Amino acid sequence: MIGESRQAPGGGRMSVGQIEHELAKLRTNEDGTLALRSSVLNLIVVTDEESAPEITNSVSKLAGRYPARAVVFIADPEGESNVDVRLSAFCNVRGGGGAQVCAEQVTIHAEGPPATHLESLAGPLLIPDLPVFLWYPGEFSPRSSEFAAMAELADRVIVDSAAGENREDCLCEIAAMLEGPAAPAIGDLQWVGLSPWRSLLADTFGAPERAGELEKIKRAEILYAPGGENRALLLVGWLASTLGWKAESATREGNDRKLEFSGPSGSISVELSPDSPDARLRRIRLYSSGYSFQVSRHRALSDVRTTVMRGDELLAERTVHLGSFDLGVLVGEELRYRGHDEAYEGALRTAVEVLDL
Amino acid sequence: MADTQVLQNVLRDEQRLPRVPEPGVMVIFGASGDLTSRKLVPALYDLAAQRRLPLEFAVVGISRTKMSHDEFRGRLRKALEEQRPGEVSDDVWESFAGGIFYMPGDSKKTETYGELKELLKKLDSERGTQGNRAFYLSSSPSLFPAIVERLGEAGMNKSDDGGWSRLVVEKPFGRDLESAQELNSELQRYFDESQIYRIDHYLGKETVQNILALRFANGIFEPIWNQHYVDHVQITVAEDIGVGTRGAFYEEAGALRDIVQNHVMQVLCLTAMEPPVAFDAESVREEKVKVLKAVRPIPEDEVDNYAVRGQYERGWVWGEEVPGYREEENVDPESVTDTYVALKVFVDNWRWAGVPFYIRAGKRMPKKATEVAIQFHSSPHTPFARDDTEGLEPNVLVVRVQPEEGLSLKIGAKVPGSGFEVSSVNMDLLYGTAFLEEAPDAYQRLLLDLMLGDPTLFIRADEAEGAWKILDPVMDHWSEKREISLYPAGTWGPQEAEALLERDGREWRKP
Ligand SMILES: NC(=O)c1ccc[n+]([C@@H]2O[C@H](COP(=O)([O-])OP(=O)(O)OC[C@H]3O[C@@H](n4cnc5c(N)ncnc54)[C@H](OP(=O)(O)O)[C@@H]3O)[C@@H](O)[C@H]2O)c1
Repeated sequence: MIGESRQAPGGGRMSVGQIEHELAKLRTNEDGTLALRSSVLNLIVVTDEESAPEITNSVSKLAGRYPARAVVFIADPEGESNVDVRLSAFCNVRGGGGAQVCAEQVTIHAEGPPATHLESLAGPLLIPDLPVFLWYPGEFSPRSSEFAAMAELADRVIVDSAAGENREDCLCEIAAMLEGPAAPAIGDLQWVGLSPWRSLLADTFGAPERAGELEKIKRAEILYAPGGENRALLLVGWLASTLGWKAESATREGNDRKLEFSGPSGSISVELSPDSPDARLRRIRLYSSGYSFQVSRHRALSDVRTTVMRGDELLAERTVHLGSFDLGVLVGEELRYRGHDEAYEGALRTAVEVLDL
Repeated sequence: MADTQVLQNVLRDEQRLPRVPEPGVMVIFGASGDLTSRKLVPALYDLAAQRRLPLEFAVVGISRTKMSHDEFRGRLRKALEEQRPGEVSDDVWESFAGGIFYMPGDSKKTETYGELKELLKKLDSERGTQGNRAFYLSSSPSLFPAIVERLGEAGMNKSDDGGWSRLVVEKPFGRDLESAQELNSELQRYFDESQIYRIDHYLGKETVQNILALRFANGIFEPIWNQHYVDHVQITVAEDIGVGTRGAFYEEAGALRDIVQNHVMQVLCLTAMEPPVAFDAESVREEKVKVLKAVRPIPEDEVDNYAVRGQYERGWVWGEEVPGYREEENVDPESVTDTYVALKVFVDNWRWAGVPFYIRAGKRMPKKATEVAIQFHSSPHTPFARDDTEGLEPNVLVVRVQPEEGLSLKIGAKVPGSGFEVSSVNMDLLYGTAFLEEAPDAYQRLLLDLMLGDPTLFIRADEAEGAWKILDPVMDHWSEKREISLYPAGTWGPQEAEALLERDGREWRKP
């Protein structure tokens, strides 16, 4: 990919008209021809000064797969009232024809009172007729009116339920918000990160004679790293909501958590242990009366090994790539979907039931 | 809970998780060959590494060369490594290779199939492949009938245990209508058409599939996609390369058999077909067959009015002097094999009555390009002064498949200034560029569809035959003829091809 990043000079407070005009100018090539703008969506991002470089980098990578108009807010409600706009375009040439295609980024520093009314800045900058995604890479407060006003603009809101200090509270707040009227469609990066694990786990029941074992699961163990509990909880929530388990009790032993569920054919005990040093999620094991199913990170952390055993007999085994958990990749996954993700909402609801016990 | 009850894997039952095929084995006949190590196994490896294959999956390779399982695995790994040095993960490869097996055997001999059956049974119990099998015929087409017959006699055309059995056939699907029909009836003696997957890797290309997306996902093109608005259509499949080391193969084939019968006819079908009722195998293929049926037969005594064959001479391509076809390795110095074909065909149906489709395919053209150009009628009347419209040409909509996937529309616009001068401008939409991501390899896509049991992007028997039927008179006529039109390498084909369009008052585009 040959790419070129173009910046508009200046900055400061600009009108919507000036911004559009300057963006069009950015698309003008040196030889006077005009590069095309290609866009499949609008992406609004709300972040802070510290994370801005990393986030901007992910946004420009996303432009490869989802060319977008990105509006990135660097918000600081504390400071003096100020709005500062910077414009850039990421243009690339592909193939022999030399035609350029650009994706645009508007970066807005909003300080003081404007930082609490970002929707008034974001709204007018959206390209009409294209879906709007709103991404909070960091901590956010689902209950705040600022969040609600921004979510109102968006078709889908992408969050990271583990970004803040109080990860478990955050799950509860998202769940509460989803119960409300006109709840936005939520994509949680903790959930997206589970997709390969869920798919691999599903593979272990791919043989028809083993699909029946799903109903007979008695025990599950999940090993994760401190900080990865939301992922682990959502995984349990998914298993429980898909397999019809009902949460009965939860106890803690040190850092471990023991959960009891009642399922269609008896009780299921689940153990969550934050003992993995280096991987958010390290290992999942399921046991039925005769079999054990395991998906586990390999010594090379980018790979994952799956095994199915009957007693001591190894029935199936495989190692594959776990796939990338790069921030851009995870967000890109979320951009593929519109509307509510029912599997996520089901998993979340159950995870919160467990937390409430 | 009865054990016989078929239980569903509810964990997989979700739109956001990828579809993964049922357990199964892929048996490759011609395992020591080029296609196996260069395309099939790399595609399977990628699918496996990206978690798209079932946990219970195995590959069995068969050819005469004596090798152990490990020698076979080593050879495949080496080929993979050569394709992408440093990118093959040891652990993932080891895990994938553990499911690869080799069986030396002559595919003409009955014993081979007894042994194969044993091996497959063993894999079913050891690797849980459930009696599902795909037999991939990747050896010389002359062996196809024997393999199919032996498979049938050994009862492997049906799977015991309620599994599936599928047959994959590589091109060429015969070398004329008669041999294609013969091949099809031999295949169908033992396999039902629904079990047969004829592969044309062109259909696995994302960009080719996009022709369908463009036509049937957009309401604005379809209303003008017919004889009321379209003057003619040009389909170009141009390569810049020559025959290279494949001279011996090419001498037997030629451009008409190698490219036109399959790839170009497929592009013609996708361009001309009616909207299918659904995007499923039968609906889509039914519509494609209707197009082939509607193509007006070319009378044998008039072939020269409809078809031109050409062959490249020494010339210059992209700054390099290249040899002529007859100077290439393993080519007869007096060969009249076609390396270029131009055709004029009519699709005699309501939509396309009277609209010529000009088709060309060739090697050693100035550049690699695949495109479909829809040339519209001129506007019925221009109110502007004659002098002012000099630069104005009819609208052309070009669907470009390669090199830069996209769409361009030539439209008339006012030249800035005080008069009313109008001129044509090209509006280019590079929708390929909108998505920078690499499209998956065509074989990856098709092998996955095969395992999932979706034949939409495979060729049905009547499609293969329909395409031959159109070309038979042309081939018959050419086989009698000793002369062929020559064109210098690096040009857009022979003079006669230009004349084919000039007679109709038209000219070829330069892609
Ligand atoms: N290569 C390509 O890119 C390509 C592209 C499109 C279509 N195709 C088609 O794909 C098929 C395979 O092409 P290829 O290039 O891989 O051919 P190839 O390299 O010539 O391989 C032929 C294979 O058949 C085996 N074979 C020959 N006679 C046999 C017998 N009696 N019993 C068992 N095995 C036998 C050979 O192995 P032993 O000598 O060890 O027996 C070899 O493995 C052909 O139909 C071709 O038209 C190929």
